[in-house]
Amino acid sequence: MNPLLYGLITGVLFGFLLQRGGVLRYERQIGALRLMDMTILKFMLSSIIVAMVGIYFLKDMGLVKLNLKPTILGAQIIGGLIFGLGWGVLGYCPGTQMGALGEGRWDALWGIMGMLLGAAIFAEVFPLMKASVLTWGVYGKITLPQILGINHWVIIVPFVIVSIGLFLWFEKKGL
Amino acid sequence: MDTQRGKSWNPYAAGALSGLVSIGSVYFADKYLGASTTFVRTAGIIEQQFAPDRVKTMEYFIKEKPIVDWQTLFVAGIFLGALFAALMFNDFKKQAIPPMWEKRFGSSVTKRALFAFLGGAVAMFGARLADG
Repeated sequence: MNPLLYGLITGVLFGFLLQRGGVLRYERQIGALRLMDMTILKFMLSSIIVAMVGIYFLKDMGLVKLNLKPTILGAQIIGGLIFGLGWGVLGYCPGTQMGALGEGRWDALWGIMGMLLGAAIFAEVFPLMKASVLTWGVYGKITLPQILGINHWVIIVPFVIVSIGLFLWFEKKGL
Repeated sequence: MDTQRGKSWNPYAAGALSGLVSIGSVYFADKYLGASTTFVRTAGIIEQQFAPDRVKTMEYFIKEKPIVDWQTLFVAGIFLGALFAALMFNDFKKQAIPPMWEKRFGSSVTKRALFAFLGGAVAMFGARLADG
């Protein structure tokens, strides 16, 4: 099947679930950053747990491959801090703002246009970044189990248990 | 939420189902979910309309080609999926300013537009730097 069609189907399903999870609103995104509303964390962590277990299971069966991004500490720490600044002002993420627009929150349009500009600016300065930030703390395509030299399930199982503990705590605190 | 209108699903359940969607995408299409590269490719497509020769020589657009690909359709699909869900569950609401923003920063649409635009530009720059 055409990869574009796969992309569209996956996007529709994902957007549908984002909307039904109620995570597309500005109030939820900023609510999470203000530690007032953990709905997004509940959604994200649930998604990560299921996908983590499923994908590593399929990988163990030899049915899928991981697709790792290289670890570059400078780029990811500085990039993450800059992303957080912008996210806190806009209140939508790159993917979720498309869904926010879909459910009628049309201020997402400003964010979409701003993101196109941000991407264009990054393209302009990419050679500069490549010579500086992108050379700081380069570790290549690594995973936690690999650098710790342990089986991946030794990471996954405690991760799931701690996440469930966190969920129970959220519910107890009404977050 | 005490009314039926627009009542969301349990976020754990919706999140877990989206995890299954991720697994399906990796299994069937060999694609991990992501959105921000699409903004680079689309910016490249727009710039190409004005300066095609320049775009051809830019290193970042050589790395991330200005094309419509799997992820472009994934991002467009998020819009459509959210639209379907909102209409199907009577949760569509046309809104220019989020209530939490309005409470803190006032009801100026221009002010919201300006900050959302700048916030988006900053956020995307950071996302691209981190390659995420």
